[in-house]
Amino acid sequence: MKIALVFLGLIGMVILGLPFSISADSSLSDAVQSFMSYGLNATGVLLGILTVFLSRSVADELVQQQIFLVMTKPVARWQYILGKWLGITTLNFAFLACSGLTIYGMVHYIRATHRPETGDRWEMERRMEEEQLAGEVLVARHAIKTNLPDFLKPAQYEYERNREDGRYDDALDFDEAGEIARLSLQHEMRWRVVGPQELRVFEFENVLCDRSPDRRIQVRYKTNISRGAPPDEVYRCIWRVGDASKGTPVYQVNGRHVIGRHHTVTIPADAVAADHTLTVYFRNENPFPDEPQFQNIIEFRKSDEVAVLFVVGTFEWNLVRLSILMMCKLMFLGAVGILMVTVFSFPVACLASFTVYTLAGTRRFIVEALDFSSDDYATMFTSLKEFFLQLLMHLYNVLHWIIPDFGRFNAIDEFVGGYNVSLTWVLNGLLWLVIVKTVFVLGLAILLFHRREVAEVSF
Amino acid sequence: MAERTMPVVETAGLCKTFRDFWRRPRVEAVKDLSLDIRPGEVFGLLGPNGSGKTTTIKMLLGLLYPTRGRISVFGKPPTDVSVKARIGFLPEESYLYRFLVAHETLDYYGRLFQLPHRARRDRAERLLDMVGLRHEAKRRVGEYSKGMARRIGLAQALINDPEFLILDEPTSGLDPIGARQIKDVIRDLGRKGKTILLSSHILADVEDVCDRVTILYGGQQRAAGDIHDLLRRTDATQIMAPTLSEETIAQVSDLIQRLEKKELLGVSNPRIKLEDFFLQIVEEAHAANIQTSGARVGGDVPEFLQKSTETTAQRVVESLVSAASRRTEVPAGSPPQAAARSDEPARGVIDDLMTHGPVDDEETSSPSPTTTASVVSSGKARDADSKVIDELLGRSGADTPQERENDA
Repeated sequence: MKIALVFLGLIGMVILGLPFSISADSSLSDAVQSFMSYGLNATGVLLGILTVFLSRSVADELVQQQIFLVMTKPVARWQYILGKWLGITTLNFAFLACSGLTIYGMVHYIRATHRPETGDRWEMERRMEEEQLAGEVLVARHAIKTNLPDFLKPAQYEYERNREDGRYDDALDFDEAGEIARLSLQHEMRWRVVGPQELRVFEFENVLCDRSPDRRIQVRYKTNISRGAPPDEVYRCIWRVGDASKGTPVYQVNGRHVIGRHHTVTIPADAVAADHTLTVYFRNENPFPDEPQFQNIIEFRKSDEVAVLFVVGTFEWNLVRLSILMMCKLMFLGAVGILMVTVFSFPVACLASFTVYTLAGTRRFIVEALDFSSDDYATMFTSLKEFFLQLLMHLYNVLHWIIPDFGRFNAIDEFVGGYNVSLTWVLNGLLWLVIVKTVFVLGLAILLFHRREVAEVSF
Repeated sequence: MAERTMPVVETAGLCKTFRDFWRRPRVEAVKDLSLDIRPGEVFGLLGPNGSGKTTTIKMLLGLLYPTRGRISVFGKPPTDVSVKARIGFLPEESYLYRFLVAHETLDYYGRLFQLPHRARRDRAERLLDMVGLRHEAKRRVGEYSKGMARRIGLAQALINDPEFLILDEPTSGLDPIGARQIKDVIRDLGRKGKTILLSSHILADVEDVCDRVTILYGGQQRAAGDIHDLLRRTDATQIMAPTLSEETIAQVSDLIQRLEKKELLGVSNPRIKLEDFFLQIVEEAHAANIQTSGARVGGDVPEFLQKSTETTAQRVVESLVSAASRRTEVPAGSPPQAAARSDEPARGVIDDLMTHGPVDDEETSSPSPTTTASVVSSGKARDADSKVIDELLGRSGADTPQERENDA
């Protein structure tokens, strides 16, 4: 129990101490976002470690033999295991609820006390920061990425033309598909860069937002200057949002933006057409047409696709959904902890649980690092090395099935970015982490505990 | 009475081998043990340290699984949850939660039997009275001395009003008064028809309370049977009389020589048991303390005894048994037929209580420790014991003479 209090103290220190260590010159949104990010991540990690330690109570009862008395009362083994798991889960729930509420409270504390040091422009700056915080951080927004045009068709067309021109005639081992892919990529690259005074159109579908004019939608993007950056590192552009042919108003926003950062353009929601499509025009306004060294070419990278955002829920419910996802992980970890202590003594069980925790957290990287291409049984018996390699691979495949990918259910970044933690995501977490994996692990724990002699004497 | 129902415990060819990490057999703790404990008897499992007593008990409780052989408790495997609802267990060491106070401990174990809140509270109070821990009920069990831990251990074993009580070394770590109280409780429970399995290497305890014993050595059964039959000396007769003169003794010797053609084997003044002597001293100290208030030496003893005099063990046991008649409190988990069967002994006790008042133990469970002749002496010693205990416990005289008669 002491360990639980220690962890509670640690979580408290992190959450309550962080806001005071955030530098005052960061913007309000940045302050709140970095607080939430550190606070939530620290809570997740600390509760994860605590969960592993809490399963110690079963190990302690086995070592200190209190289990002798419990097991001689009318308590079935499965009830014992389930009871311990419920205990751990309840404690986790209480701790998570506490830290969630504290984080919520501290966000409002930061909001009330954060003062940008901007002198006489204080009030205006503050209002802008407030608006930014409310519109971009403390909301649950749904993001729709732009529909990329079809690059394959023009690539095929170009390929056909090239072939007719006889460009590929002397090529040896000619790879048609590879050439089309190369041409397609070329088209995409060309589409992604916007030269001076050039126009680019972004199309969005399924923008299922409330289309009333007093609602707002946002276009979020990040641009890079691939060549000829202006001397003040600020590029000029014009955004036009709306499609007059579909009867929507067209809103124009002139942008002066710092290179290489995310920017958000906010416009009324009636720019969305009745068929829930949205058309966005972007024009590169080169301020220095006569100076070729500043012919800035703007690039929209694939990793930072232009997206349209609209509010679908409140910050509070988003926090609740995030907490449920975090809770799902802790439920699984609790089950793993219980399983391990039914098999091993505490230090070993602790190590094993941490291994699972780490594997689950880093599964994405491990999967990328290992090559699973050779899962062919036929080659398994060709050599000893191959056999062990394959065996290892199959073993890992089993582990791979049991150990979930925590990264898939980590919604902290989305939450902090003001994105909606969707209900589908939460339900997916509940289904995979709790209903499938946790139940499986608990079942295994019950099975093994059933076979175990609690008063076992080993030499 | 024993034959009319099925045995509470039945084992056949029970073996337990402990293995090492590589599954190689290391120790054969129990070898081919066949036990048969009948309802209502106080059964002693005797043996030196490491003879397999505790291993046997752990197998009966499903804490260990037998390597070979068969066990049934109330006709079911020991891991059956419904069986456990009918058992009370006092382990060799008190494996209690150190951070709970006595009250919480009893409440916790009561909850495991799904006893309703009121029943748990009532029983906890009465059991704490019985074991003399009422005034220590707010202390954490981790702070208890070994003897106190044994007492709370016994209390938890009785929280469910068990039909079958398994006591592993119940008197170890207890002072003579505590040991005596626990023996009295065991005897009382035995008289009320509870089946008790008592494991001990303190022979006096077993001799005092058990009906039948099995003696284990090296995991094997060396002797078994009715304690009466096992200990009876058939080659000698003991006569107990008030102190006689040398002359009378010579005449008696002559008479024996003349009638039986046998030599008198020995003449001596009988000794009282150290236990009785000790209790007598404590009683005197207790009395002296009241007269000379403020005496420092022995000040602890009366205080402790005061606690245990709040109610008698007898009263608690009776109320526990009578609570069994209100069997609406049967654990919800146990199947109906198990609950119905569990009523039987208790109902018998209730009937006894209603028709005859205090239970008559004349011919059933009162143990007769030695030969016919020494029954007289032991009877007297026990008479003295009960007197001291009764006075110490502040027991009303109403039932005591009757019990004394019965014992005699």
